[in-house]
Amino acid sequence: MTDVSISDFTYQYPKSETKVLNDLNLTFKHNHFSLLSGPSGSGKSTLLYFIAGLYPRFIGNDATGTIKFGDTNIKDIPRNHVSNHVAMMFQNPNQQFAMDTVIHELTFVLENIQTQPDQMDKIIDHALTFCGIEKLRDRIINTLSGGEKQRVALSCIVAMDAPVIVLDEPFASIDPDSRIDLIHKLKELQEKHGKTIILADHDLGNYQGVIDEFYYLDPQTHHIDLLNQAESQHFFDNFESTQTIDKQLALPPKNDKNSVIELRHFKLAPHDSLLLQLDHFNFYRQKTTLITGANGIGKSTLFNALTKLLPYAGIISYDGKNIKKIKPLNYAKNVTLLFQDAENQFLNVTVKEELDLSFSNRFNQDYTHEQVEQMLTQLGMQGRDEQVVYSLSEGQKKKLQIVEMLIMNPPVLLLDEPFKGLDYKSLRLMTDFLELAKTKYGQTQIIISHQLSGLEDLIDYHAHFENQNLTYQEVI
Amino acid sequence: MENKSQASNNQHQSKWTLRNIILIALIAIFCGIIFWGIGFLYTALTVALTPIGAAPFANDILMGLWCMAGPLTGFIIRTAGSAFLGEFLGAAVEVFLGGQWGAGAFISGLVQGIGSELGFTFTGYKRYDWVSLNASIFTTVVVTFAWDMIKNGYDKFALPLLIGLFITRYISTFIFGGIVTKMIVKLLDRSNAFNL
Amino acid sequence: MNPGMKLLLVVLTALEISFTQSLIVNVILIAISFVYVMVKRMNFKTLFLLIFWPLFPALGLFVSQWLYGSDGIHFAWVLFTRIYAYVFLGATFTLTSSITDLALTLEQDFRLPSKFAYGVLAAFNLMPKIREEVQIIKTSALMRGEVFHVWSPKLYFKAILSSIQWSQNLAEAMTSHGFVEDEPRTHYRVIRITVLDWAMFAFLIIAVQVMLFFIRY
Ligand SMILES: Nc1ncnc2c1ncn2[C@@H]1O[C@H](COP(=O)(O)OP(=O)(O)OP(=O)(O)O)[C@@H](O)[C@H]1O
Ligand SMILES: Nc1ncnc2c1ncn2[C@@H]1O[C@H](COP(=O)(O)OP(=O)(O)OP(=O)(O)O)[C@@H](O)[C@H]1O
Ligand SMILES: [Mg+2]
Ligand SMILES: [Mg+2]
Repeated sequence: MTDVSISDFTYQYPKSETKVLNDLNLTFKHNHFSLLSGPSGSGKSTLLYFIAGLYPRFIGNDATGTIKFGDTNIKDIPRNHVSNHVAMMFQNPNQQFAMDTVIHELTFVLENIQTQPDQMDKIIDHALTFCGIEKLRDRIINTLSGGEKQRVALSCIVAMDAPVIVLDEPFASIDPDSRIDLIHKLKELQEKHGKTIILADHDLGNYQGVIDEFYYLDPQTHHIDLLNQAESQHFFDNFESTQTIDKQLALPPKNDKNSVIELRHFKLAPHDSLLLQLDHFNFYRQKTTLITGANGIGKSTLFNALTKLLPYAGIISYDGKNIKKIKPLNYAKNVTLLFQDAENQFLNVTVKEELDLSFSNRFNQDYTHEQVEQMLTQLGMQGRDEQVVYSLSEGQKKKLQIVEMLIMNPPVLLLDEPFKGLDYKSLRLMTDFLELAKTKYGQTQIIISHQLSGLEDLIDYHAHFENQNLTYQEVI
Repeated sequence: MENKSQASNNQHQSKWTLRNIILIALIAIFCGIIFWGIGFLYTALTVALTPIGAAPFANDILMGLWCMAGPLTGFIIRTAGSAFLGEFLGAAVEVFLGGQWGAGAFISGLVQGIGSELGFTFTGYKRYDWVSLNASIFTTVVVTFAWDMIKNGYDKFALPLLIGLFITRYISTFIFGGIVTKMIVKLLDRSNAFNL
Repeated sequence: MNPGMKLLLVVLTALEISFTQSLIVNVILIAISFVYVMVKRMNFKTLFLLIFWPLFPALGLFVSQWLYGSDGIHFAWVLFTRIYAYVFLGATFTLTSSITDLALTLEQDFRLPSKFAYGVLAAFNLMPKIREEVQIIKTSALMRGEVFHVWSPKLYFKAILSSIQWSQNLAEAMTSHGFVEDEPRTHYRVIRITVLDWAMFAFLIIAVQVMLFFIRY
């Protein structure tokens, strides 16, 4: 029996005033599927890192209290045996793998836990098949899309065969179909292979009926509570009510009059295979266009072409001018990208420095300091001036990233998965801010998002990315 | 420059942790790739200087850039061998990127690595400031120059040319390995980045 | 040949020809390496680049020695061919061996602690991402109204910040994938240095010595 029991557990990050986790007492039960929810920044990742044995080793200070696997205190497990107890899957699919190809990574994993070489082929085959990625076996990991990488990460966990599996928002960048599929894979691991599963997520979609237990991390008390049937039903219902979305949209006008970015004879094939081909496509001024499409279809790559980060064939023009003829700095001031990976946006170290950089270099003076201060407060990001941006939680990074790019206030803002990791409340605030930027300051916005609910008021046009084509739709 | 840099919490254990090794390698690769990006600049300089027989100056003008990874990693991971490893790996990256040097880059990497490491060795891995940085610049220039005497036939040049090359190299190394490195370390120190 | 031995051989040979001044040996080394990479099938674009780029530094060295050197045209040719010898010797290694294999043999046969072998390997495997990252840093700076050049401290500053962050992520990920510093591991692919490797190594290194001894021009 490997219950994961946590007693009198308290943790406070060095140099921070509040306890992220305050006197926790709970038990994640053996062979159960436990969901841990809570708003962004409440401490979910922190707890999971401790359970996985990564903290305190990779952080400056220790927590008080104990974590036990069955009867064994995690502190008494020799370092090279931790993997026999617990395996972890991370929130961010990048920088997760040591080796070049999928098969090499799996071998690496098995060598680390000292599996006998003659057993390895069998285990690897099983792990790949289980995750449905036999085809990726010899692929170079760097060339996989985020969703594919997460499947590889899962296959490593399957191969390691640890009794406890800890997952930190593993589906944040995954399209809805893959998400459902992977959740069922996890269920299978629990039911057929006797695993104990602890999963953190604030997106409650698709878990109802799958999970055995629902824990909630309260951001006010920093406590974790096990919810009873009625309470968890309440959470699910609440969440459901935010999920229904069907909105009829207008199609953009057929002429080029209000277009701001035009693609002509455009062909996108930066890595050998053709991703997108468009003869005539426009993005429209002072409108918000939503782009949807499956993982790995080429959405981010399109943004990279629009920002001159990757080569393309054909012509992209901005304001009637070929973008290749516009000077880099000048173009960047007009067409600005909010990167999928928030850390790519940061150039400084602390939250204050980041905001100051935006204030001192912004392209116009539209936002006042008070206005920004108020936005941050609404987002629960106040008083974090001195915090290192890299230590923010994933959701907080996104919030800061959006705010600092709003301050820049460029005429065209491209947003790649801006709502990843945001809870519903923050999401609605963000859409309000974007709406304001559009109506008051005339901003054009193009948004890539898997997350659709909550966006209905903001979106003007919807373009779907499929079969190497981008077409405007009348529904979201 | 204060000696604040680097994580100080694990003083007792060896600094050669997995994380630090990866860190050195990553910094080296970043530097290698950034310099590789200006390969054309080097070629252009060479082409411009070849007709008057002054092509070696291209090498010496850019020397400082190529020798930046060493002092940087030496400053960030303060332990014996880190400057050497950073510089050497930085050069190895050039080999794999298909730079113009082939096996020569491995050897230059070894030589430059020894050059930047020696400066820190002479200051006993105790001080990390302007003095040790200058010591490292000095040893880098001397060691790499001695090496170019042999490898690139500098020893066959007349003394004035030789002195010209030496001074050029010293200035370049001082600017990039010294001033720019110091500015970077200052940014890092001020931002407490080492405690991330 | 075992990649570790091959690398050693290449570096030793390159080191030796740096100290010697035999034009003919340089040419022989270039020829042999050339044949070797051709046998191992190389595409012509790579070959072209391999010949094209070094032309500039090689020519530059040549001209300056020719004009100002005290040793005349012969030494100028030695330097010219030396550059190409480096390049082709290097190519025999880089074009025909994988760094993964090199890491494996360094760990298993050369007794390099596994944290060095896999730590550096993991970083090298991120090389394509790092190239993108450099591009992204520059672009993201533009979007915040700053222009970064090769000499801008802030470019390196951000590169180091990313390195710090990535090294943390990678170390955590490797740890959670069961890797523990200084602990024994099993090996799926056992790489040994065979008698044949030793024989080849000894033969080639002796051949180089003999050539350098007898061929002085
Ligand atoms: N190294 C650190 N130093 C100081 N504060 C930190 C550090 N790391 C995290 N925090 C803070 O601790 C809190 C909890 O972070 P954590 O990453 O655990 O949140 P989370 O629940 O996983 O959020 P999300 O859903 O956004 O990922 C956040 O407020 C975060 O800013
Ligand atoms: N360096 C590379 N080499 C080869 N293929 C690559 C490379 N980088 C990305 N790809 C491929 O290009 C395709 C498009 O990737 P892109 O990141 O644009 O997808 P996406 O639509 O943004 O997906 P997601 O929703 O997961 O972010 C993917 O199939 C990916 O595997
Ligand atoms: Mg988190
Ligand atoms: Mg994407």
